[in-house]
Amino acid sequence: MNTNGVVLDALGDSTRRSIFESLKAAPRSVGELAEGLPVSRPAVSQHLRVLKEAGLVSVVKDGTRRVYRIEPDALLPLRDYFDEFWTEALERFREAARKETG
Amino acid sequence: MSTVTTEAVRKTILVDFAPAEAFELFTAKITSWWPVRTHSYGGDGVMEVVLEPQVGGRLYEVTDGGEQDWGSVLAWDPPHRFLLDWQIGEAGGTEVEVRFSPERPGSRVELEHRGFSAADPRERYEGGWDVVLAPFVESASKNA
Repeated sequence: MNTNGVVLDALGDSTRRSIFESLKAAPRSVGELAEGLPVSRPAVSQHLRVLKEAGLVSVVKDGTRRVYRIEPDALLPLRDYFDEFWTEALERFREAARKETG
Repeated sequence: MSTVTTEAVRKTILVDFAPAEAFELFTAKITSWWPVRTHSYGGDGVMEVVLEPQVGGRLYEVTDGGEQDWGSVLAWDPPHRFLLDWQIGEAGGTEVEVRFSPERPGSRVELEHRGFSAADPRERYEGGWDVVLAPFVESASKNA
């Protein structure tokens, strides 16, 4: 399993994408995240674990609270994925745009 | 940490076709070269890829099951450039710009895919993970 696969799988679930989106606005605790979503706290914790394992979020201490935040480099793997995606697509295009000589 | 800017993906290639011809191949004839097996929702089941040639036009794939949007046209300036909202999924997305200019042996084609910003909610990318790549999750996982 490569890194991109992990990231894309982590974001392949709509609840996890919602959690990720919430954390873009500000770091939040599990409880705060659960309040804004139609899922239980344990479910939120489970989703956070997947996001954390994919390197998309991290947990930090804020006083006595544990809050989750977006990893600054979270989107690098996705960007790298597209780098390869376009390399392959453009190579196909270049071949298609080749003029026969002779 | 309030703003994270991730560099855009930028690609440049030179092709034999002149700009007008290259622009047409890239857009009107996209089905003839796009690698649908790896770069689509439907894989080998994709019969056609359509890029509607106007601002507001759709970019989508066609399979037995119907149509699946990839994005929409934000700017259309043949044979020089076009700009896509790379949408795939729901509202919002990253942007893909493709520019064509004359250069031997035919054209320089420059592609920029931008908007991979994680943490600044003010950017237009907000709302956007549905966008991103749901369709490619499967192929990425398969290749892993």
